[in-house]
Amino acid sequence: MDGPGIAWYIAVAAVLFGIGALGVLIRRNTLVVLLSLELMLNAGNLALIAFSRHFHNGAGQIFALAVMAIAASEVCVGLGLVVALNRRRLSLDVDRLSELRG
Amino acid sequence: MTGGSWLCLLAPLGGTIVITLLGTRISRVAAAWIATVSVFVAFGGAVWAFFSLRSQTGHHGEITTAWTWLQSGSFKVGLELLVDPLSTMMMLIVSGVGGLIVLYSIGYMDGDDEERRYFAYISFFVFSMLLLVEGGNLLMLLVGWGLVGLSSYLLIGFWHDRPSAVQAAKKAFVMNALGDATMALAFFILIAHTNSLSFATTFNAHLSSTAANFVALGLLGGAVAKSAQIPLQTWLPDAMEGPTPVSALIHAATMVTAGVYLIARTNPLFEQARTIELLAAGTGALTLLVAGLIALVQTDIKKVIAYSTMSQIGYMFLGAGVGGYANGMFHLMTHAFFKALLFMTAGLAIHALANEQDIRKMRGLGKVMPFTKWCFLAGALALVGVPPFAGFFSKDPIIASTLNIGWYGYVFYACGIAGAFLTGLYTFRLWFLVFPGEPSPFVREHYHDHYGREGAWTMLVPVAILAVLATVGGWIQFPPHWEPITHWLAPVAPSLADAVPSSTQETVTSVVTVLVGLAGIAVAWAVYSERRIAIPAAPTVRRVLENKFYFDWLYDRIFYEPAVATATFLRRDFEDPVILQSGPDLGEATIETGGLVRRLQTGLLRTYVLFIAAGAAAVVLAFLIAR
Repeated sequence: MDGPGIAWYIAVAAVLFGIGALGVLIRRNTLVVLLSLELMLNAGNLALIAFSRHFHNGAGQIFALAVMAIAASEVCVGLGLVVALNRRRLSLDVDRLSELRG
Repeated sequence: MTGGSWLCLLAPLGGTIVITLLGTRISRVAAAWIATVSVFVAFGGAVWAFFSLRSQTGHHGEITTAWTWLQSGSFKVGLELLVDPLSTMMMLIVSGVGGLIVLYSIGYMDGDDEERRYFAYISFFVFSMLLLVEGGNLLMLLVGWGLVGLSSYLLIGFWHDRPSAVQAAKKAFVMNALGDATMALAFFILIAHTNSLSFATTFNAHLSSTAANFVALGLLGGAVAKSAQIPLQTWLPDAMEGPTPVSALIHAATMVTAGVYLIARTNPLFEQARTIELLAAGTGALTLLVAGLIALVQTDIKKVIAYSTMSQIGYMFLGAGVGGYANGMFHLMTHAFFKALLFMTAGLAIHALANEQDIRKMRGLGKVMPFTKWCFLAGALALVGVPPFAGFFSKDPIIASTLNIGWYGYVFYACGIAGAFLTGLYTFRLWFLVFPGEPSPFVREHYHDHYGREGAWTMLVPVAILAVLATVGGWIQFPPHWEPITHWLAPVAPSLADAVPSSTQETVTSVVTVLVGLAGIAVAWAVYSERRIAIPAAPTVRRVLENKFYFDWLYDRIFYEPAVATATFLRRDFEDPVILQSGPDLGEATIETGGLVRRLQTGLLRTYVLFIAAGAAAVVLAFLIAR
C-alpha cells in the first residue's frame, strides 16, 4: 500500500467540502452556488473512495457512482432552472429571488 | 308439509317485491290484486301445511332448514321454519283473516293517492307476522317480531301528511322496541346458559331459577309491548291513526296476538318460572279491566273497538298465563274473526259517512246501512259472549280455568267476570249509540252509498264471511265435552293440570258469564237507548277514564319531559359553547400560530442553507458528545 495515508485524503475531502459549503453560503450567483454544490458532492465522493480503498471494500465505490448519477441529475435540474430564469429575464442573484418570503 | 310452509311465508314477500319493483308500471287496482292474491296463496300454503301435518301420525311437526344462517364457534342458527300444530293454527288465522282484510282494503283504499305503497306494506306486514309464527328458532321469531314492529310503524304512519299519524307511528315503534330489547336480553341469557336458540334445546334445558325468571320476564316484556298490555299499552289506541283495515289487521290477525303466541310457544320456559307466568295472567286480568273501563267513555268508534281489543288480549294473557294455552289460542282465533268483523263494519260506516268517526253524530245509522248493522250485531254478540256466537265458547273456559290455581285465581276470576260485564256495557253502548233509531241529521246529510250498496263488493264479501265465522267459528270447541283445539295443540302446548276446570266449574262459569254479559247489555240499553237511567255524572271518575288512567301523562312526566329537559340543557350549556364554538376558536388559534412561524420563512436561499448547515453541525456535535 503505497502513497499517502487515509488521513490526507480525508483532509483534502474536508477542505473541498468546506470550500463548497462556504461557496453556497456566501456566493449569490446561482451558477456559482450550483458549482459549489458539485464541489461538496465530490468531496463526499473522495471520502467514500478513500475509505473504500482503506477497508478493501467495494461498497464505497458503488456509492460514489450513485452519487455521481445523482449529482448529474441535480445539475440537470439546476441548470434547467437557470435557463428558465434567464429566459424570463430574471436576475440570477439568489438574494433577489425571495418571493417565497412568508 | 314443508312446501306449504315455505309457500305460505314467501308468497306475501313475493307480492311486496313485485309491487315495489313494478312501481307505477302497474295500475293501482293491479297492485291491490297482487297483494290480495299473494296473501290468499299464503292461505293456500297454510291449508296445505295443515292437512299434511294432520296426516302425520302424532302430528309433532317438523323443522325445515334452508341453510345455516349464522355460526360463531359452536353456536349456530339456521334459517329454519317450523311446521307444528301451533304454527299451522297461527298460519291459518294470519293468512286467512289477513287475506280477507287485504281484500277489504281494495274497496276501502280505493282512490287513495298512494295505494301501491299501501298494498306493498300490507303484504309485507302479513309476511312479517308469518315469519314470526313460522320461525323455527327463537332468533327467527325475533326477526319476525322486529319486522312486525317495522311494518306496523309504516302502516300506522301511512298517511304521513298527518302529524298525529306520524306521532302515533313513532310511539308504536318506540314502545315495541322496548319489548324487542327485553326479548333480546332474554335470548342472551339463554345463549349464555344453553349455547343455543333452537326451541328443542332451550325448552329442555334446566335453568337456575334466577335465570329462568329473568328469561321469562324478558319474554313477558316483549309480549306485553307487542300485545299492548299494561304498562306498555298506550301505543294501541293511538295506532287508530292508520287506515281502518290496518287497525283490523293489527288487532285481529297480526301483531297484538303475537304476545299470546309467544307465551304459548315458549310455555316450557314460562313453566320454569311459574311466578312470572302468573304475572302474565295478572297483567292480563288488570288490563282487561282497565281497558274495559276506558272503553266506556271513548267517543271515537275505532277507539272503543281498540280498547276492547286490549281487553280481549287481556283475557288471552289470563288464559295462557294460568296455563291454559289452548284456551288462550282458541280465544285468539275467535277474537280474530269478530274483531276483524267489528273493525270492518266500523270501516264501512266511516267510509259511508265521509271519514267521520265520532259516535255521537252517528245515531240511527242502522236505517240506512242494514247490512252493516246486522254484521256489527253478530260481531258485538260474539264479543260479549252470548251463545251461540263465537266469543261464548272461547271466553268462558278462560275464566273457568282460573279457579284451581290458588287464592289469586279467585281474584282473576272476579276480574274476568267483571270484564264480561264491562264488555257487554261498552259494546252495546256503541251499538245503541250508533245503529238503532231514526237517523240523525248528520247521518242524513253525509251518508253516501256506493252505487246503491253500502260499500264496494270487495268490502262487503269479507264482512259477510267474517260475520258467518263470528257466528259459527266457536263451535269447533266446547269444553269439556268437545275439545279438538286442545287436542290439536297438546303436542306443543299442553294445558297445565291446574288450568283444566271441572265440568261443574265450567257450567257455572258459563251461566254466570252469560248472565253478567246480558246484564251489561241491559244496562247499556237502559242508559244509552231508552235513557231510563241518566248517565252517572261522577265527574272525577269520568275525568280519570277520559285521561286513560293518566298513563300517557305519567309517561310524559317520567320519560318524555326529563329527556327533553336534558336535551335542551345539553344543547344550551354544552353543544353551543363547547362544540359549536370550538370550530372558530381552533381556526383563530391556528392563524395566530401561523403568524408567529411565518417570520422564519425569509425567502432568502442562503439563510435556509445556513440553517441546514447549522442543524447538520449540531447533529454531528451531538453524536460526538454522546459517544
